[in-house]
Amino acid sequence: MINFTFDGKTYQAEEGDTLAAALLRNGIGLVGRSFKYHRPRGIMTAGVEEPNALVTVGEGGRSEPNTRATDVFVYEGLVAKSQNRWPNLALDFGAVLGLAAPILSAGFYYKTFFGSAKRWMFYEYFIRKAAGLGDAPTQADPDRFSQRAAFCDVLVVGAGPAGLSAALEAAEAGKRVILVEQDAILGASLIRDPQTLNQAWIDATAARITALGARILMRTTASGYWEHDLVTLTQRNAEPGQVPPTGIAQRLWHVRAGQVILATGSIERPMTFANNDRPGVMLSQAVRTYVRRFGVAPGKRVVIATNNDDAYKTAHALREVGAEIVAILDARPEISDVARDAQLKFRVHTNSLPISTKGAKHCLRSVEVDIWTERVVYVADLLAVSGGFTPVIHLHMQAGGTLDWNEAAQAFVPAKSRQNVTTIGGATSPDPIFAVAPVSDPTKSFIDFQNDVTLADVDLAWAEGYRSVEHLKRYTTLGMATDQGKLSNMAALGRLAEKQGVAIPEAGLTTFRPPYTPVTMGLLAGAGAKDGGAHVRRLALYDLHAAKNPIWQPLGYWFRPRAYPIGGETLAQAALREANAVRSAVGMTDVSTLAKFEVSGPDAAAFLEIICATSVSKLAVGRGRYTFMLREDGMVFDDGTVWRLAENRYLLTSSTGGADRMATHISYVRQYLCPHLRVSAVNVQEHYAGIAIAGPTAKAVLASLIGEEPPRHMSTVAAKIAGVPVLVLAASYSGDRAFEVYVEATHATPVWAALEEAVTAKGGCLYGMEAMEFLRIEKGHLVVGGEIDGRMTPHDLALDKMLNKAGGHIGASGLSRPAFSEPGRPQLVGLEAIQGNIPEGSMLVTAEGESPQGHVSAAAFRIVESGSIALGQLTDGFARHGEELIVTSPTRNQQARVRVTAPHFYDTAGARYRD
Amino acid sequence: MTDVTITILPAAPLHALEIWSNPVAVAERFKAATGFALPAMGRSRGSNTLRLIRYEPTVWLVEGDASALSNILANDGALTAIGGGIVRVRLSGKGWRALLMEGGVFDAESPAFTPGSSAATIIDHVAVRLHVVSDDACDAYVPLSYSAGLMHFWEEAARSLVG
Repeated sequence: MINFTFDGKTYQAEEGDTLAAALLRNGIGLVGRSFKYHRPRGIMTAGVEEPNALVTVGEGGRSEPNTRATDVFVYEGLVAKSQNRWPNLALDFGAVLGLAAPILSAGFYYKTFFGSAKRWMFYEYFIRKAAGLGDAPTQADPDRFSQRAAFCDVLVVGAGPAGLSAALEAAEAGKRVILVEQDAILGASLIRDPQTLNQAWIDATAARITALGARILMRTTASGYWEHDLVTLTQRNAEPGQVPPTGIAQRLWHVRAGQVILATGSIERPMTFANNDRPGVMLSQAVRTYVRRFGVAPGKRVVIATNNDDAYKTAHALREVGAEIVAILDARPEISDVARDAQLKFRVHTNSLPISTKGAKHCLRSVEVDIWTERVVYVADLLAVSGGFTPVIHLHMQAGGTLDWNEAAQAFVPAKSRQNVTTIGGATSPDPIFAVAPVSDPTKSFIDFQNDVTLADVDLAWAEGYRSVEHLKRYTTLGMATDQGKLSNMAALGRLAEKQGVAIPEAGLTTFRPPYTPVTMGLLAGAGAKDGGAHVRRLALYDLHAAKNPIWQPLGYWFRPRAYPIGGETLAQAALREANAVRSAVGMTDVSTLAKFEVSGPDAAAFLEIICATSVSKLAVGRGRYTFMLREDGMVFDDGTVWRLAENRYLLTSSTGGADRMATHISYVRQYLCPHLRVSAVNVQEHYAGIAIAGPTAKAVLASLIGEEPPRHMSTVAAKIAGVPVLVLAASYSGDRAFEVYVEATHATPVWAALEEAVTAKGGCLYGMEAMEFLRIEKGHLVVGGEIDGRMTPHDLALDKMLNKAGGHIGASGLSRPAFSEPGRPQLVGLEAIQGNIPEGSMLVTAEGESPQGHVSAAAFRIVESGSIALGQLTDGFARHGEELIVTSPTRNQQARVRVTAPHFYDTAGARYRD
Repeated sequence: MTDVTITILPAAPLHALEIWSNPVAVAERFKAATGFALPAMGRSRGSNTLRLIRYEPTVWLVEGDASALSNILANDGALTAIGGGIVRVRLSGKGWRALLMEGGVFDAESPAFTPGSSAATIIDHVAVRLHVVSDDACDAYVPLSYSAGLMHFWEEAARSLVG
């Protein structure tokens, strides 16, 4: 026996029981409360279509609300709780809402809670308190989720007789086969109705399939069918709330299949009559399942209501376990052969229907029925109903399939599909039924049990002008619950068609969307659920940085040191000290994340002159220059430097943040625009670690290490540091004399160590991203994502004088658009504070209340002197130097007065970086 | 835990070899100099001294001593060092195929993915190149910056796989 608790009380279950079976085994009829009216609800089905028996399973972060009791297998220690009730399931004060049902009908919210948005915020609190499902866990989920790919020739969904046979046939033909079954055991309908194909056949078939190398996935639901026969499978490694044995609670499979075979069977429909939602009203096949699979008889005195032959099997199954069949109500006026045979054992009534039920919260007491013209009341504790069968066509429809109407079964069946999918088995040929329109009180006749939608709601929607089935769905919320209308849609369509005076196929059908059954969010996030969905990119010198305990800063996927505080320094204090070291002595920083491309070949220069908007071909070997790149529309989208390393070999650098985009751009230009060029452009971003040293004594530091005169500004030289070959580029992003040292990343550690020792000896220090930002803002250098924001032309950024006059580069044509020459363009400016500090991201206005004329893209403090400075984009800014403006950030409630200046606050002549 | 061992191999010289013109002539020169033909798309050739693995129509990954290749290429192609940014990871044991399906999009379980096969793919959002060394081993070429994260991912995934 297995111990579990429900609402705090301990019960015992048998091995293999679902929670629903275990509750029935323990005589528990009341399992939940309905969404809107808090009506008592029991267990209606034995499968994933269950609308009523929703419970919360598990505890803490592992708890899973809205779990169908029919779709969780009991394990030792399972903790289940009922939902949407207060103070307890039996005494639920929310049930008072049932008295107000006449005014809580379809469209109640729309008709009642109108007015200002603020009022809705008030109403919403109470509505959410009164109506709802289980509570989402507030603690983090301790389990992990994973995702994996799989490929096969044939994917078979459903392991009933048809699915097992199809999988075996494909496996025997030498195909790679995956067979998935959402249940914990194979067999599907054979579990309920073992006949010629029994458990021995199931076991032998599964063994043969496995022996042929096919994969059988249990507790796995095909939840989505996407383009190109991609099917997503949701695999449970542990039951809801259970500690997963391997740490992975669920796995999401992305299966690309050559062919998909759907053997998904059918779902039995309920019947529509008054109080058809009461505990003790169950689907006929579900009753049979509980009897035959679990050895549990859900009732002792049973009335069976049907419009088809299948329900007679339930009568026989119940009789086998000693239940009394009070009556079989067959809606058909003519007696069928099956019914005639049954008359030998049971009281069978033709042309008979249930009209209503009576009972207590926990159970059924009686069933009121119409038999021909006579009304009779049967005392019974179970009403098993069978209103026909709805083929499970969800995956077929998600795959873009079409449907045929099966008049005899009153059901849609799969027709064509534009994907390679075939439906087999019961879903293609549901049993014929006798359709009969509901005759009971529509206000108590539920069709969507989970959302408390009645026939009266459909009638009301129709009366209020809702004609489209899609509108009907949204107005009444029919089919919008967690069960997605698996039991309700056909009943609603039938009523809508009746109102329209058309056949059901003409009434339309709502859209089938993934997932087939609810999927937990963690599964969609996969392994990334624990770290924001992406790996952190580590610098080659990560360990060296980490040893200094820096403040880290995310930059794209990278983590880079933002500052290296000493002795309790704040970020601002550390950054200012580091920046001061660069201005007064020397500092060094890790610039390995910069994008780097090695471009080789006789046509390398020609290729670069297409990528870069500046001239490249005239560069001498050993020289470099600043460059920038344009999109086709003429907007600047990145910048960097280009260096001629040899006659036919160049190194192109660009921004860290734009590195992946630039790699894609270069590949696009190479593959599509310039396949004829003799050139190779290789992404060497990670091949080289980069170390920048900057400051008045940077040159001396470098000279002491490379044993020769360092290159002049915008020149390059190959050298060695600590015996390791390096490439030294003389370029400055700080405004002071500076160099970038590139070294093969695997050999970067000794180079960094040698540089750090030399820098420290000269009174310098390491500096991080924050100091780098101070330095570049003071100097007026641009950054991608800040000043280069995708909306600025070279002219807007005062880069137009550097454009390659020969043209031919990407974006050259775009620049000729007249609008770029008209007034009103945003233009790069500097801003210095007259009063207050400039908030980054703030708006530029001429006076309070006026419309913004630009914004602050980056703000900092002067490093050596004092004062708040910034870079910004200002309408017609070039002509407004000297003008005073207000910078304002309403969201931060900050404001300052500023003067517009040139965007350079430090060494405007450039003397310092040129020696 | 599934049968797979994850090991970082020692750093080795790696180059990208790209041919932009006269591919037939280059292939002939290459075969004459090295004794083996340039491998076809998705395949590798060579030995532990020099192995070429073709991942793109015009680009091969060169592993080992590439000193002779520049002369072979002449003006028909280029050789670019890339080894500093790549970590070689060996996945060995019967479970390597199953492990590569975790977070993957490529059919590493395909019977056609045999020793000598190669693939460029994505694993848990990371661009990775694969080379099947033997029935029981596959080398993965992982970007340096992602290597710590991907190693952690693989170790966790291996623990979660049974058999």
